[in-house]
Amino acid sequence: MKKTVEIVWLILIGLSIFAYLLGYLKYINYYVVALLLITTFIKVQLVIYYYIGLKNVTLKYRLIPTVWSITVISLIAVAYYLPLDKTF
Amino acid sequence: MYKNLVKKEPYPPGDFAVWIIIYVELITFALLFLGYAFSRRANIEMFNHSQLMLNQTSGFINTLILITGSYFVVKAVNSIKSMNQDTYKKFNIQASKWLLLAILCGVAFLINKVFEFSHIFTEGITLSTNNFFMFYILLTGFHFMHVLLGSIILFNIYKKTKIYGYRINDYAGIESGASYWHMVDLLWIILFPLVYIIR
Repeated sequence: MKKTVEIVWLILIGLSIFAYLLGYLKYINYYVVALLLITTFIKVQLVIYYYIGLKNVTLKYRLIPTVWSITVISLIAVAYYLPLDKTF
Repeated sequence: MYKNLVKKEPYPPGDFAVWIIIYVELITFALLFLGYAFSRRANIEMFNHSQLMLNQTSGFINTLILITGSYFVVKAVNSIKSMNQDTYKKFNIQASKWLLLAILCGVAFLINKVFEFSHIFTEGITLSTNNFFMFYILLTGFHFMHVLLGSIILFNIYKKTKIYGYRINDYAGIESGASYWHMVDLLWIILFPLVYIIR
């Protein structure tokens, strides 16, 4: 897989174009936001694994940024989807 | 089968100190991201209305620039890792070319962002305009400073490659700088949809 870095770059660019087009076409609703958050998580994982290179590092060092991204993106989803009448 | 036999590195690439900085930055930005997301709940209409004043295309172009800059940095690190005792000069030169492209990406990001900020400030928007713009200026301004620092770090690494400063057993410096740069990229990957797209 000599071209892994190029493939990752293409996926990152493709997902970014996808996100931009959704925003540009104002096609943002509850379901699309979930899709956007999932694609954002995928992009973050690609950077962590293939750009930073944590793919080849022991599990605990891969887990730190992965847990960070899961926590942040999940809480953003909670802030978006939690019914407003339950805010404190 | 083969994948399971590959020995994992015991530590992440670069110096341990840079990873402490990266973890602290990740926590800081996480708090800002969540501050934005939960503050939005208090006045969704205002956040959505204010978001319309942002230039999504500018944010998108900056996303492409950062992702591409990160790609160039990966290529530079891979060049350095490919060297041996006899080819260190050749691969230092190769890495310097990739780094120069990455630095240009950093500069392009900064210039694009300055134009975006100048447009916003010309409209009379400040930190105290509303909560959306407070978070927008804080998040993107703070991130701007990280791109600036990352570009300076890359420039210093670039200078070292020009004097063939990286050797087969001495390339932690470029790995540290690269890890920092990728962290800056990673933060923008979350910031862009959160602030510019999601409504």
